[in-house]
Amino acid sequence: MSSRVVLKTKGKSTKGSKPSDDKSTSKLLKEWSTWTMKKAKVITHYGFIPMIIIIGMNSDPKPSISQLLSPI
Amino acid sequence: MAARVPPPSPAAAEAIKPEKVDYMDLPCPIPYEEIHREAMMSLKPELFEGLRFDFTKGLNQRFSLSHSIVMGPTEVPSQSTETIKIPTANYEFGANFIDPKLMLFGRILTDGRLSARVKCDLTENLTMKANAQLTNEPHMSHGMFNFDYKGTDYRTQLQLGNGGLVGASYIQSVTPHLSLGGEVFWAGQHRKSGIGYAARYSTDKMVASGQIASTGMMVLGYVQKVSEKVSLATDMMYNYMSRDVTTSVGYDYILRQCRLRGKIDSNGCTSAFLEERLNMGLNFILSAEIDHKKKDYKFGFGLTVGE
Repeated sequence: MSSRVVLKTKGKSTKGSKPSDDKSTSKLLKEWSTWTMKKAKVITHYGFIPMIIIIGMNSDPKPSISQLLSPI
Repeated sequence: MAARVPPPSPAAAEAIKPEKVDYMDLPCPIPYEEIHREAMMSLKPELFEGLRFDFTKGLNQRFSLSHSIVMGPTEVPSQSTETIKIPTANYEFGANFIDPKLMLFGRILTDGRLSARVKCDLTENLTMKANAQLTNEPHMSHGMFNFDYKGTDYRTQLQLGNGGLVGASYIQSVTPHLSLGGEVFWAGQHRKSGIGYAARYSTDKMVASGQIASTGMMVLGYVQKVSEKVSLATDMMYNYMSRDVTTSVGYDYILRQCRLRGKIDSNGCTSAFLEERLNMGLNFILSAEIDHKKKDYKFGFGLTVGE
């Protein structure tokens, strides 16, 4: 008796699969963009100031590491 | 017999005549977001409470590091009318890289808040600016990108921000002294949109600016340059949705060794800000703000070392 109930729900899921495929591409896009925004935020948060320091240390005239660390 | 006065020479006659305006050759206007620049600089100095110590160390002509210590009570937003202050102490580390084509500015606090600004000249007329305030708390970070195009006598700007914020503005020089502009913006997350207009009339001696927006804000400002060292400024902010108006009148003395700015408000708030140059690269700052209505008294002092 319980097996009859299981067959009915299977039938419903096969009918519904086609429209859910279209939904999943836009959902995938949204998920991907959210994932990249999150990663970009973390990278900017940790890497922005080191990036400025690297660009500054490579500009002319090149300052030395001791000048970077000393308080004078 | 009446003495005959010789007719004025043609050269003198040319000088007396007003200059003919060439409408095809107008100057480039001020950017739209800086339309109240003189009034803001004179009336809204960076007032603070407590101790402030800034040390800027230049490693290079273009690259510098900055260390800043701020200690004092900071206001915490509260629901009641009383202002709640909590004493805090912060150390902020910053790095600046300033090139004619690229400017990078970063500041990070001990609690992990980063504020970053980037300004890059992509071409001679197109500039990209980015601004971000990042925190460790979720959903409290903001970021904004601006693309500015500068034409011969106009400027346009496109703004993209997080939370689906999109904005555009345009400002045009109409005469050598008058510029008019407008802006539209749309905030996706809050489903709000707005439109605004601004006008600015400036001569050598005075600047008058006005701005009105559909969010209900109307701002008018007037700055008169009384002499080389003294400017007087006044501004009025009116919100026509909430019928709230604030007027302030202030002065700005730019002297050789110091700069003193003071203002009084219609909310019963007076403030003053003094920057005194003690020596080359050493500045002493004093800030005072007395709010008689809210009974909030803020005094601050500090020292700025470096350029």
